[in-house]
Amino acid sequence: MLGLVSYLVFFAIVVLVFAIAVLGLNLQWGFTGLFNAGVVGFYAVGGYTLAILTAPPRPEFLGGLGLPFVVGLAVAMGTSAAAAFVIGLATIRLREDYLAIATFGVAVVIQLVALNFEALTGGNLGIAAIPRPLAGWFDSPFAYNGFYLVLMAVAVGTVYWALERMVRSPWGRVLRAIREDETAAVSLGKDARRFRLQAFVLGSMLVGLAGALYVAFIGYVSPFDFLPIVTFQMWTMLIVGGSGSNRGAVLGAAIVWGLWSLSGSLVARYLPSELQTQGGALQVILIGLILVLTLLFRPRGLIGEAPIVSRHLEDH
Amino acid sequence: MRIDRGLFTLAAAIALVGALGPMAEAQPACPVKLGGILSLTGSLGAIGKPIADSARLAVEHVNAAGGVKGCPIEFILRDDQGQSTVGVDAAKNLVDVQGVPAIIGAISSGVSLPVLTSVAVPAKVTMVSCCSTAPTFTTLAQEGKTGGYFFRTLPTTKTQAYGAAKIAAERGYKKVAIIYVNTDFGVNLAKDFTRALQKLGGAVVLSIPYQENQPSYRAEVTRALAATPDSIYLVAFPQDGATLAREWISFGGTQNIILNNALRADQFLKAVGARFLQNAYGMDNAQVAGPSVDAFNQAYQAKFGSPPNGPGLHTVYDAVAVTALAMQAAKTLTGTEIRDNIRRVTGPTGTPVSTGVEGLRRGLELLRGGQAIRYTGATGPIQFDAYGDVSGPILVYRFKDEQIVTERVMTLDEVQALFKQIDG
Repeated sequence: MLGLVSYLVFFAIVVLVFAIAVLGLNLQWGFTGLFNAGVVGFYAVGGYTLAILTAPPRPEFLGGLGLPFVVGLAVAMGTSAAAAFVIGLATIRLREDYLAIATFGVAVVIQLVALNFEALTGGNLGIAAIPRPLAGWFDSPFAYNGFYLVLMAVAVGTVYWALERMVRSPWGRVLRAIREDETAAVSLGKDARRFRLQAFVLGSMLVGLAGALYVAFIGYVSPFDFLPIVTFQMWTMLIVGGSGSNRGAVLGAAIVWGLWSLSGSLVARYLPSELQTQGGALQVILIGLILVLTLLFRPRGLIGEAPIVSRHLEDH
Repeated sequence: MRIDRGLFTLAAAIALVGALGPMAEAQPACPVKLGGILSLTGSLGAIGKPIADSARLAVEHVNAAGGVKGCPIEFILRDDQGQSTVGVDAAKNLVDVQGVPAIIGAISSGVSLPVLTSVAVPAKVTMVSCCSTAPTFTTLAQEGKTGGYFFRTLPTTKTQAYGAAKIAAERGYKKVAIIYVNTDFGVNLAKDFTRALQKLGGAVVLSIPYQENQPSYRAEVTRALAATPDSIYLVAFPQDGATLAREWISFGGTQNIILNNALRADQFLKAVGARFLQNAYGMDNAQVAGPSVDAFNQAYQAKFGSPPNGPGLHTVYDAVAVTALAMQAAKTLTGTEIRDNIRRVTGPTGTPVSTGVEGLRRGLELLRGGQAIRYTGATGPIQFDAYGDVSGPILVYRFKDEQIVTERVMTLDEVQALFKQIDG
């Protein structure tokens, strides 16, 4: 039983990491309508920044500065925001699918840089032995994971609370106005490009934070953590949970990652042993099937967007 | 509608508990659990599925030979989809929920490393990989960060690279171009090859990385041609390797080709055509001739109807067999006990035992009698060094009459002499 609890703690940590990234994506797509198809690129920037700053020095690397975790985390948010700002300046004018193509390209470029800039990122071999924050304080892996779960819960709670306040503020209403009808928003004197850029940078910063927290937890980073499939997974989480709803984003992260993990367990448990080596394909089919069914029966996601646009209207 | 949803939730909850939780009744000692994390889908799926089949074959053999401590092995195989996050989650599940004391895997170093450092080492679970070649494992072991829990049954990239350099030197190539797959495997092979060839009197004029799964490699090929090499060292996997070789030859590149182990595949030979590969030589690990290798080859052929040509098929069999024997030798089935017994079943002083049901039965019997054994595997004799690495004999292969044939074998002694010559 303890084993199950231990696994669930681990599972919850990964879910909460994804939740932060999906909350960031939700700000971009759910509230502002920005089709960011390069989420994993910012996830990678955050992850690598933390790794480069906090890993112990090695002669063959430029990085490995051995800085404290908190510094790494703060700079990781900074670099992913900066990356988003630069990319946003160039691409944010693009509408929906064009923005998707541009950001997808950017994510591939970032992954290739990670793969090839060996002196900084370790190339294919990645960066190993990244110290886990406060690891020395805990004597068992289980206790440590418990601590990290609390850390993640606090992080998700803070991000959730801040986002809820922001999207309910006038600023958040402008974002939704832009999403629904950009021309109308502009005609009311709103600088749509500026708001779009703000949402893009803020959302990407959260995605970068998620990347940094993941890398700090696993203690290793390589380009294989940032394959395009991760973008797909995060989008699925948002769509299944319900885009435009922060609760939906968190729920979607739990459900979709649960589906990924659970389908693997189910296949391993119930498939006859002689068919086990085909289990991988079956698992992928199972995931696809459940996603399709969810979208057929809950097209707006499990928790759709709340219809209320202003708390002052709630009284009626 | 309400009731439907309630029922659905209930069913989902039951399925969830069924899948995650150990059954409520007391766990019997049998079967003995062994975890496996391999890439069944994703970018490595094409080579991963046969590897998993070979692993299953090894489990069947152990079970037919009487199993571990009188129990059959239950091999719980999970797919990492070539994605490290998925692999780490699967490993955590295997260790915590299923309670496996040892894991076979993974294939990609990018999955094996995070699984090792974030799951296996903290939980004191032994990992035996068939296929991860990154030198990082050796570095981590030297720094004491693996706790000795990591083993791999394939010789590190160094053995392959030195073998290939030896072929180049023997054939008198002086200006070699390298085109290599841009993965940890390719990068290290290219690096070690360059260094080794220098020591052996040749030189690498150019080395070019390529990205996987492209429709054409014209740019890479053209660049390599511009350096006018007298030979080319191709480090690739069968599909991309065939594309590269075809373009290389059709643009007039030299047919003095050296190939890495993964190209010892029928798929590559058929796609390129044997007549273009008359001057191609490759090296592969260790499938030396010998009864233990033949026994495996025959068993594989009988089971799957084709000879075991492909990366990882032999090494994963050995990974499973060594782990199972170490489990038998262990006093209790814990990761630490298994780790400590792996060298006891492969040590040079033990009684040699072979592969296949008969070989494993003899091995298990000897271990039950308290004797030390030396498992001689599908890749020949295996000996782990202090960091869990093996070096092994090398075979040189070429293509003849539409067949892959073994040209000759460098024995373990020859390989160690080669290491001395290059590393000093």
